[in-house]
Amino acid sequence: MLAALPRDISADGHLISDALRRGLVEQAVLLGVLVVWLVLALVRFRASHAARADRGDSPRQVLTTLGVVAVIFLVVDGSLVTDAISATEGTLWNFAVPAADPDTVRVEVNAHQWAWDFRLAGPDGAFSTRDAPSDDDVLAWNELVVPVDTPVHLQLTSTDVVHGFYVPNLLLKTDVVPGTVRQLWFRATQLGTFEIGCAQHCGVNHYKMRGELKVLPKAEYQAWLREASKVARLGADREDVGARWGWAWKERPR
Amino acid sequence: MSAPQGFLRRYVFSVDHKVIAKQFLFAGLVFLALGGFLAMLIRWQWAYPGRPVPGLHTLLAASDGAITPPVYQSIFTLHGLTMIFWAITPVLIGAFGNFLLPLQIGARDMAFPRLNAWSFWTFLLSGVLLLASFFAQLGTSGAGWTGYPPLSGPTGSPGVGQTLVVAAVFVTGVSTIMGGINYVTTVIRLRAPGMTWFRLPVTVWGLFLTSVLNVLFVPVLGSAALLLLLDRLFGTAFFAAGAAVGPRGGDPILYQHLFWIFGHPEVYILILPVWGVVSDLLSFFGRKPAYWYRGTVYALIAVTVLSALVYGHHMYQVGLHPLLGKAFMFFTVLISFPGMVLVMNWLSTLWRGSNRFTPPMLFALGTVFVFGVGGVTGLSLAGLLTDIYLHDTLWVVGHFHLTMAAAVFLGSMAALHFWFPKMFGRELNSRLATVHFGFTFVLLCLVFFGQLLAGWSGQQRRLADPYQYDFIKPLLPLNKATSHAAFLLAASQLLFVWNFFHSLFRGKKAEANPWNVGTLEWTHAPSPPPHHNFDTIPTVVRGPHEFSTDEAKARGTDWLPQAEGP
Ligand SMILES: [Cu+2]
Ligand SMILES: [Cu+2]
Repeated sequence: MLAALPRDISADGHLISDALRRGLVEQAVLLGVLVVWLVLALVRFRASHAARADRGDSPRQVLTTLGVVAVIFLVVDGSLVTDAISATEGTLWNFAVPAADPDTVRVEVNAHQWAWDFRLAGPDGAFSTRDAPSDDDVLAWNELVVPVDTPVHLQLTSTDVVHGFYVPNLLLKTDVVPGTVRQLWFRATQLGTFEIGCAQHCGVNHYKMRGELKVLPKAEYQAWLREASKVARLGADREDVGARWGWAWKERPR
Repeated sequence: MSAPQGFLRRYVFSVDHKVIAKQFLFAGLVFLALGGFLAMLIRWQWAYPGRPVPGLHTLLAASDGAITPPVYQSIFTLHGLTMIFWAITPVLIGAFGNFLLPLQIGARDMAFPRLNAWSFWTFLLSGVLLLASFFAQLGTSGAGWTGYPPLSGPTGSPGVGQTLVVAAVFVTGVSTIMGGINYVTTVIRLRAPGMTWFRLPVTVWGLFLTSVLNVLFVPVLGSAALLLLLDRLFGTAFFAAGAAVGPRGGDPILYQHLFWIFGHPEVYILILPVWGVVSDLLSFFGRKPAYWYRGTVYALIAVTVLSALVYGHHMYQVGLHPLLGKAFMFFTVLISFPGMVLVMNWLSTLWRGSNRFTPPMLFALGTVFVFGVGGVTGLSLAGLLTDIYLHDTLWVVGHFHLTMAAAVFLGSMAALHFWFPKMFGRELNSRLATVHFGFTFVLLCLVFFGQLLAGWSGQQRRLADPYQYDFIKPLLPLNKATSHAAFLLAASQLLFVWNFFHSLFRGKKAEANPWNVGTLEWTHAPSPPPHHNFDTIPTVVRGPHEFSTDEAKARGTDWLPQAEGP
């Protein structure tokens, strides 16, 4: 296959891939019209054809031009805008959905040159911050472990430069900007390991800023989380302030 | 008015718009070659990551010719900057703007000839700063052409190279503003008697509106560059944020706003002159009036106004307020309305024409097609939804190269092939030019279609070795094929180089009006025009596209000049 969209492994990725495919068809049709018109004009009306001084500015011609453009505009651009608004506001950027679900897994992400740090709150549900340590936080480096069929709500920031959190198989992406917290949420529907990439140029090793998304069955995830937070508690070091980069979770971050 | 004597005053420190135009042209072509060379290195890296580039063993001695990640990031950064600010801008606006504006509106020179010379020498200074950055310790900038802080800030990019590059952008901005003020004033004040706004060639409209945008928005880029320089040199923190800075920090997003307030109009700054040239050439070589001339002009004006209201589509993923995101999406798609009017008018001009496939016409037709592809592929980026996936992929790269590289390059070639006889008094070899067009058009399409396909598959931009990612590994054959098309594209430009220089010295002497068109530079000035352009300033009596009219036929010809008399 010369080119194809990544396999969608999420409940809502089809909102994006469907819109992409529909857009591609519309673009191909528009381009087809342009090419056919162009080729016909150039084949039929060559130097041997005597030109007519048609200025194209009679009211009828102007209305025809504007009419054709208006129809294309309403159909193509209109569907593009309405799709985009309904899918982003209804689902993809609607964080009320994960907020309302009691099963939602919340993850804090810290991007830095050139790796992804993931933080899960552990059984106590509180994220370790500079002022309020929490010893059972599960920290993972370049590996995001999530349960299948469960909303996962990410909040992301960066310590140094602008990065771009990108999971091709979710068709999702967001810039990650120092000084602000960005959000993303998804529901993985397929088990397996998938790639996480950096999308925004972030320096020399931008190309190596690769992580993995691991989707586990729910029970297996719970077991993994219990074990991981037990290990975390054992290894917790209250002197290590730098490890407490988390923040108190807010449903509407700045 | 008599011509100045002495080589230096005539050809170097000249204030003649035609000489300055050629200075911009030659300087721009040199930078175009540099930018093109850097593009080839990027394509090499994507086809053969890490393998030494043939012939670069001495230039990249430390790695024996291989492109290391730090070198790679400098290459794509400088490719973008060089092409936009030091190649397209001087060729399109510096060279054609300078050469054509006075001649097409019937003036003897620009409104401020000295300022014009200053604009060129300032441009050259900025070019020197840019080139100097290559020799800086730690190398030149590697922060991308957009130079987003904090990466472009003092901790993200230590080293004097980045500072030199930001300074170079600032200085070239000063040059552009000087040029812009001059062009705007010239068109408003120096039009010949009878040259009303709606008798202007569309080329003049394109260059005029471009200059308006330059005057309005390049200062915004200047302010961003200045604040970034303060951050880098004097320890301010306008754009600094994150753990390293603490609560003292500023806002990196502020830079993105300033950059794109300029950056989006910039893409129209670069394409408006091309749209103007294409609108004129399709009429000239279709031997037919431009279809709905006023509609075309209104469309150009609408794009100019809207271009200021859409920049946020570059920032959909940084966390704009939802209302802001929607507003930017709405204005962005609104631009497609005048865009489609423009394309409809072009196609309707060709319909029922008497189309002559000269080299300028071929390049103009090629422009219409690649601009069409570039335009429709932008729709997926205009939408908040589809942009989530395509943002920062090669789809973006393919899209903007089709509009800003392919369309602008073909459009500039159309202009150069059309006005070469007037500029240099000699003709280009048209058979060679046709072959050059064929190679260039096909290969440009292959290269940028290849990028669209890689982007559709999700490949991110700016990866020193894309194949670190498993999902990109299957794209290696595609990327390799695209690279080979790019190498062929570069090689085929030798046809043009040879044609250009051979014709410059040995080409057939050009007549005053070899294309039989009615605009003033062809009808009222010899090729090349004298220092003072016109012996007497012509009085304009009609528009620029009077082809195949009854009045013309009554005179036994198919065209009418914009001004009567000698
Ligand atoms: Cu990164
Ligand atoms: Cu834009």
